[in-house]
Amino acid sequence: MFKIKKFERGLGIARKRRQYDLPLNKGNGGNFLKLLIALMTFLAMLGVASIFALSAMTDRWSSGLENKATIEIPAKDNSGTVFEQSHMDTLQDQVFNFLQNYPAVDTVEVMDKEEIKSLVAPWLGEGLSYDNIPLPGILTVSFKDDVIFDTDALENKLKTFAPQIRLDTHQSWLADVLRFTGALNFAAVLITIVIGITTIVAVAGAVQSRMAIYHEELELLHLMGAEDSYISRQLQRYVLILSLQGAAIGTAIGGLIMFMVGLLAGEMDISLLPDFHLSIMQIFLLICLPLLVALLGMVTARQTVLRVLAQMP
Amino acid sequence: MIKFEHVGLRYGVGPEILSDVNFTLDQGSFHFLSGPSGAGKTSLMSLMYLGRRPTRGIVSMFGQNVGQMGRHDLKKIRQRIGVVFQDFRLLNHMSAFDNIALPLRIMGESEKEIKANVDELMEWVGLGDHRHQLPNTMSGGQQQRIAIARAVITRPRLLLADEPTGNLDDEIGLRLMNLFDQLNRMGTTIVIASHNTLLMEKFSQHSRLILDKGQLRLIHPRKTIKQKLEGIF
Repeated sequence: MFKIKKFERGLGIARKRRQYDLPLNKGNGGNFLKLLIALMTFLAMLGVASIFALSAMTDRWSSGLENKATIEIPAKDNSGTVFEQSHMDTLQDQVFNFLQNYPAVDTVEVMDKEEIKSLVAPWLGEGLSYDNIPLPGILTVSFKDDVIFDTDALENKLKTFAPQIRLDTHQSWLADVLRFTGALNFAAVLITIVIGITTIVAVAGAVQSRMAIYHEELELLHLMGAEDSYISRQLQRYVLILSLQGAAIGTAIGGLIMFMVGLLAGEMDISLLPDFHLSIMQIFLLICLPLLVALLGMVTARQTVLRVLAQMP
Repeated sequence: MIKFEHVGLRYGVGPEILSDVNFTLDQGSFHFLSGPSGAGKTSLMSLMYLGRRPTRGIVSMFGQNVGQMGRHDLKKIRQRIGVVFQDFRLLNHMSAFDNIALPLRIMGESEKEIKANVDELMEWVGLGDHRHQLPNTMSGGQQQRIAIARAVITRPRLLLADEPTGNLDDEIGLRLMNLFDQLNRMGTTIVIASHNTLLMEKFSQHSRLILDKGQLRLIHPRKTIKQKLEGIF
């Protein structure tokens, strides 16, 4: 009890007596505010969790493909003439050797025939003999993080071995996917901000209506010479306690829903879905969220009270 | 102490409730404010306890023009004024004790100090056995005594009371008038709005402010024969 009081006094929200000069605990207005805060906290949790999930998805896609490229050596030249396998092997070796000595390249691997066959199988059909089908040569390259290089210059150099060689850095389609997830992320941030603004407006409205109901009592305190901070502290404390209670309820429901979604996603085993495991920092931020909502409620209450009191003579 | 210079007050675009009111009340003086119903007594009182701002003129309290004072300074002035409202304006969710203690808590007094002062005053006004009772469960007279106790607990420099003895029996009324007298002797300026002519006759040594049709007249107390003789010799 003592510690709580000390903590509250530290925040400037506690009084020696646990009673308000204004009859704030009368009526159902408090329950409405608590429910509202619970709902807003729940929605904010979903919003923040969506941001985390989309960020994880973006990170996974970009980290898996960033600094990586695929080099394709088509099995025929630009006029359509199919190369001999020996020519393909020579070309592949030349490109491999060139890339191994290229300063920006970290590792280079030649994809073996079986892997290439498994890649084209979905398009050509299973059980097909590939002996007479010209297969391209494919090399996967990963680049050094700390070396900046020009991909166009690299591609031009590769084309000196054979003009039909293609360098695919995945940037074109990855950029589209990242743009899309970025837009979703932005929408999630926007929704979270809207939830925050709605909370502010709702708390301000609730406090204003309370002040209208207890206008006579407020005026009395004002006429007795009560400082604005003396009056606002009481409403701040009242809103903070309700907000903490509401935020705890919202967090509990939000946490439960997220846990269930996580379980469901785990059972579905869909590789495209992001990993729902949260990092320590993300857990910390989610724990901070209800406190942030409560703090937002308290600050809004304070500003609202001070604004209303400023209108008194 | 209190100075009104050409003060006017109107509500919205309506006619002036008070027009060109001029008076000066000295520190430690005692006045009755009377006049017919609707003459503007409550409005004048509200200007004195800084519940309203005049629409024109200058109001000075304790030597300072309140129109030029900052918000914080006005709070300090209000803390030096005790008010007994006609409708008491008690906080019904609080005990009688807490209602009386409220001005001291606003001023930041210690709980020990508050308890000692409030207990003593509650005994004095005959409410010693009603400390924890809620005002709305008490009689009109008891509520009025709480309102008076709340107004005087801080020993204000100015006490404004609107019909303070209206619901009280003669004995308690007289006792409270004596309390006002005692406060007055300690330097508190007292203004009592009242219709009670008997009360005003009983305390005829005090001057009367008569408000009629928004205009104020000051009538000085009748001098006793002794005072008249003192004036001649």
